[in-house]
Amino acid sequence: MLPYIVKRLLVAVPTLLAVLTVVFFFVRIAPGDPALIILGDQASPQALAAVRHELGLDQPMAVQYVDFMSMVLKGDLGTSLVTHRSVWGEVANVLPYTIELTLSALVIGVVIGLPLGVAAARHRNEALDYAARLFSLVGLSFPAFVSGIMLLLAFAIELHWFPVISEGRPGDPLSRVSALVLPAVNLGLIMVAYVMRVTRSSMLGVLGEDYIRTARSKGVPARVVIWRHALGNAMIPVVTVVGLYLGVLIGNSVLTEIVFNRPGLGKLIVNSLNQRDYTMLEGLMVIYAFFIVIANLLTDLTYGLVDPRVSQR
Amino acid sequence: MRYFASMAAGFVGALLLAAVVPAQAEKALNVGMAAADLGSLDPHRTATTPDKAIIGWMFNGLVRFKPGTMNPEAIEPDLAQSWDASPDQLTWTFHLRKGVQCNNGYGELGADDVVFSLKRASDPKISSFSSDYADVASIEAPDAATVQLKFKRRPPSVLGILTNYQGGNIVCKKAMEKLGDDFRTKAVGTGPFAVESYTPNQSVTLVANKSYFRGAPKIDRIVYRYIPSDATRDLAYSSGEIDLLYGRQDQVWVERMKSLPHTVVDVFGPGELSDINLNITKKPLDDLRVRQAMAYGVNRADLVKFKGALTAREAVSIIPHDYLGTDERAPLYPYNPAKAKQLLMAAGYPDGVKITVIQTSLPSMLNTMQIVQAQLKKVGIDLQLEVVDHPTFHAQIRKDLSMAVMYAAARLPVADVYLTQFFHSRSIVGTPTAVTNFSHCGVADQEIDGARQTADLAKQKALWKEAQDKLITEVCAVPLYEQLQVWAHRDKLDYGYKLDASLTLGPIINEQSTLQ
Repeated sequence: MLPYIVKRLLVAVPTLLAVLTVVFFFVRIAPGDPALIILGDQASPQALAAVRHELGLDQPMAVQYVDFMSMVLKGDLGTSLVTHRSVWGEVANVLPYTIELTLSALVIGVVIGLPLGVAAARHRNEALDYAARLFSLVGLSFPAFVSGIMLLLAFAIELHWFPVISEGRPGDPLSRVSALVLPAVNLGLIMVAYVMRVTRSSMLGVLGEDYIRTARSKGVPARVVIWRHALGNAMIPVVTVVGLYLGVLIGNSVLTEIVFNRPGLGKLIVNSLNQRDYTMLEGLMVIYAFFIVIANLLTDLTYGLVDPRVSQR
Repeated sequence: MRYFASMAAGFVGALLLAAVVPAQAEKALNVGMAAADLGSLDPHRTATTPDKAIIGWMFNGLVRFKPGTMNPEAIEPDLAQSWDASPDQLTWTFHLRKGVQCNNGYGELGADDVVFSLKRASDPKISSFSSDYADVASIEAPDAATVQLKFKRRPPSVLGILTNYQGGNIVCKKAMEKLGDDFRTKAVGTGPFAVESYTPNQSVTLVANKSYFRGAPKIDRIVYRYIPSDATRDLAYSSGEIDLLYGRQDQVWVERMKSLPHTVVDVFGPGELSDINLNITKKPLDDLRVRQAMAYGVNRADLVKFKGALTAREAVSIIPHDYLGTDERAPLYPYNPAKAKQLLMAAGYPDGVKITVIQTSLPSMLNTMQIVQAQLKKVGIDLQLEVVDHPTFHAQIRKDLSMAVMYAAARLPVADVYLTQFFHSRSIVGTPTAVTNFSHCGVADQEIDGARQTADLAKQKALWKEAQDKLITEVCAVPLYEQLQVWAHRDKLDYGYKLDASLTLGPIINEQSTLQ
C-alpha cells in the first residue's frame, strides 16, 4: 500500500511542474501590469519602473522562469506581488476555510445523495423517484450564486438563523460553525444532485443482476438485498464521481465563497487575478493541481476499500 | 473572618452592580466595502476607492478640506495652525499645531515627520502622486514646529497638494522606519482612528484615537469589511450586519435603498467625469471633422436618463463641474445627428467610419459605452468595442492600442490638475512624463502653463477657460456625464457635518460622528 502511495505521489511531481510552467507563462501573457495596479493611474513612469524592478518584472521572461522554478523546487512559492507576504502564508490563512467548506459539502452530498439515490432506484418510476430526479435536476441547473442568494434571503434575512457574512468570528468556534452551515448546504446541494443521480443509475444496473434475483428468491429481506448485496457493488461509479467532483467542488467553491463572503482559496484566486498578482496565482494553481492529484489518489485508494479486488493490482 | 466576609460581600455586590448597570456598550461601526481585500493603507501608494475611503479616517494633512466639502477656496488648518507665504508665493511657511500625537504610541508629531512625509510623497520612485509635487524645490524644517516649502514655480494650488488628500496625508516617520513593508497594513498617522488589526481578505479594524487633537471620537471602533459581491453587501445591510455601505451607482439601487426604513442614502461629489478621449494621431480621428461628428453624435441627456438623474449629471465641460476654474458654460457640441452625418460626408466618409475601442468589462463603464455605441451608430460611426478585463484595459490604453479611450476620473478640484494630467502634452502616454493624456492633444499647453505662472486667480481662471474652449473645439475628448458617489447608512449613524462632497470618495468619519 505505502509504496503504491509513494509511487503515485512521485508521478504527480512532473504533473505539478508542467502545470506550473503552463500557469507561469499564461498569467504573464495576459496583458495587465501589476505595478500599475499597485500604484494606480496617477503614478509616474519612474515609480512604475521602480516597482517593476522591485518585483523582478523587468527581467527577461526566461530569467524570471528559472528564478521562479528554482525557488519552487526548494519548496518556496515566493511572496505575493501585492501584499509582500509569503504565498504559503496567505494560503495557510484561508485554507482551513476552503477545506471545511469542501468537506462539509462532500459529507452533505454523500449522506443525503446516497440514500436518496438508493430510494429512487428502489422505487423506480414512482412518486419518490420523480421527486428525487426533479430535485437533482434543479440542483444541477442552479448556478451556485443564485441558490446562495436564495438561501441567504430565506435563512439569514427572513429567519435570522445564520449570518450573511459567513466568515465567523476569530476564536469563536460556534460562530464559525454557524457561518459554515449555509455555504456548506449551498455547495452540498450540487453534490447531492451528482451523487443521487449516479447512485440511482448504478443501483438500477445492479438490481437487474441475476444474483439479486437469486437473493430475493432465497427470501433474503429486501433491506439486506439493497444495502448489502446491491449497494456494495454499485459503489465503484459513485466513488469515481465523488472523487471526480471533489475537484469540481473546489472550483464551485469560488462562487459560494464570494456570495457568502467567506475567505477561501476561491476568493483569493479571483482577487489575485484582478490584481495580476502573478506569484499568488501561480502558487494557487499549484495548490489546486495538488488537490486534484490527492483527490484522485484518495479515489483510487477508496476503490480498494469498496471492492477488495482492485487493490490487488 | 469578618473582614473576609465583608470583602466577599463587597465583591458580590460589585458583581451584581456590574450585572445590573452594564458598562457603556462599545460603539462599533460596521462598514461594507466593494472590494475583495485591502490594497494598501499607505496614503502615498494607494490608488483605489476602497483604500482612499478608509485612509480618510486615519490621517491629517497640513491643511484640510472642511469635512463634507471639496472647495479649494475654503481650505482650513489641520496639522498646521497657521501659514504665511512670501510675496512671490514661492516660499510657504507652516506653523504646526503642538501636542499632536502619532497613533499607536509613536510619539509627538514634529516638523521632521512632516518633512519626511512630504518628501516621500514627492519621490517619483515611491509615491503614486509625485507629479503633484513636481514644482517643489525644497522642504525643510527650520525648527521643530515649523515647515518651510520652497517652489521652483508656483504650483496651481499650494494648499491643495497639502490637504488630507493623497500625497498630502502626513505619515509618522518613526512608524514608517520601524514598520517598513508592514506599513502597508499597519499605517500610522495622526487621525481620529488608528489601525488595530487587519485580517487578509476579510477586514481592517480601526479603533478610536482617544488622544485625537480635535477630541476623542465618539465611535469606538470601525470594522471595514471587504464584501466584493454587490448582492451580498446589500443582504448584509438588510440583516443588520453592516451599518454603512458602499453603494451601487445606479438609480434603481438608490430608489430601493431609500424605501428601506431608517436608511439614509448619500449621493455626493466629486462627480467622476467620463470623457471619451480621442487619439488625434490615428486615422480617421486625425480629421477634426470626424471628431466633431462624434461630438455631435453623442446625446448626453439620454445618457443621464439611462444612468439615472439621482446619481448622474451631464458633463458641463471637458473637465469636471465645480472645480476651481471649470467653465460651467463651456461651449460643448450640442446633440445634432444631422450635422454629424454631414461632417462625416464632408470628411470623405459617406459610408461611415469604424473606430476600434478597447473597453473595460467593468459593467458601469461598459454599459455607458454601449449606449454611446448605439447613439453613434445612428450617425454612421461604428464603435467596435473590444471588451477586456480592467487590468488589461489599463495596460493596453497606455500602449496607445485604443483609438478612443473612455476614462472616468475625479482629481484634486483645481482645473489645472485635470487639464494637465489629461490634456497637456507632457502627460501623453508612452512618454517619460506620461500620465493619462490618451488624446495626444497639446493644443492648450500654453494656457495651462500660463495659468501656473500667475498668482492672480482671475487671470488663472481666464486662462483655464481658454484652455477648455480650445480642447473642446479641437474635440480632444467627448465629455459624457459625471457619476456621483453613492453610499447608504442607517440613520443611527450621524456624520456630524453635512456631506456634500468628499475627495476620499467615501464619507469622512471623525470625532464629530456619532452612532446611537
